[in-house]
Amino acid sequence: MTTADQVLLSVTMLRPEEKLLLGALRAEGLTARPLLMEDLAEVVAGRTGGPPALAVIRNLSHRDAINVSRRLEYAGVTTLNRSSVIEACNDKGLQSLLFARHDIPHPVTRHAFSYDQVRSAVGELGMPAVVKPVSGSWGRGVTKMANAECVEAWAGGRESADATGKLFPVVVQAYVDKPGHDLRVVVVGRTPVVAIQRVSDDWRTNTHLGARVQRVEVTAEIDKLCQQVVDVLGPGFYGVDLVEDRAAGELLVLEVNANPEFAKSSATHGVDVAGLYAEFVAEQLSVTATV
Amino acid sequence: MTTAIAAPKCLVCDTEFEVQEDWEKGEITECAACGQEHEVVEKSATGARLDLAPEVEEDWGE
Repeated sequence: MTTADQVLLSVTMLRPEEKLLLGALRAEGLTARPLLMEDLAEVVAGRTGGPPALAVIRNLSHRDAINVSRRLEYAGVTTLNRSSVIEACNDKGLQSLLFARHDIPHPVTRHAFSYDQVRSAVGELGMPAVVKPVSGSWGRGVTKMANAECVEAWAGGRESADATGKLFPVVVQAYVDKPGHDLRVVVVGRTPVVAIQRVSDDWRTNTHLGARVQRVEVTAEIDKLCQQVVDVLGPGFYGVDLVEDRAAGELLVLEVNANPEFAKSSATHGVDVAGLYAEFVAEQLSVTATV
Repeated sequence: MTTAIAAPKCLVCDTEFEVQEDWEKGEITECAACGQEHEVVEKSATGARLDLAPEVEEDWGE
């Protein structure tokens, strides 16, 4: 027997946007409370009253997100998102394999498990190419290989810190010549609720690196790509990053984030992402309750 | 280094925080004077205990 309206919001810490989400969940009439890592032991031991009806995983730490969702799932608590989905979203290599398997348009991507395989993949894809750690965020470690000297500089620098190659795999990706911006689409459930352009002079267009945002229309093409992603991962809360290949004139799914940030961009586009997410959580609860 | 008084002070510049009714454990709050982020590590009817907010870790991100 679960506590029917109780939602745990699992967080690494409560930043203003997690606070916003907590408020939105409560405004939906749910009994929502934060779950910090230090509280997890008590929850999985069943020492906090009845098990919660649902847990929303919103940890900033990837390791914590996987740890919490797995342990709650094994304890019988329904989670949003599931650990398998978080794992795929937090690993660009796994995502690329899923996209390829399900014919989701995506830049050509290769795994590399050694320095030689990086050289070989860059050679195969041609330069410029992009090397990414499979689990990096906020643009960290994403490197453009403009020429052979870049590849050797990257390999030399990394080898001095990781001679045995423990930090592999990385992914090597065909560079997409985009028109100075990419697109971030926030998906709630199955619905792309808002799309923004992230405009930057830097080839990396992360808002964390200073990209400016402006709202754009959710076109039929954007909607179709988001539906393809949701078909594979299941309904949830996602930040879907799209890039336009200027040469081919088509949109590609670059990656999907399981923990998209929304507070800063919401101030620009005015869509109440936290409120929509809370509505989705409430819907999921009613589904769970009737199963 | 933490404080355990009803109105905690900034751990960097000593400015007093006003304890907010709706503070939650784990919440990040900023010192109004110097901008240093703090984490609410304990909240009770009589006050709150703050610590410096954690530094960005390697696996944090969207």
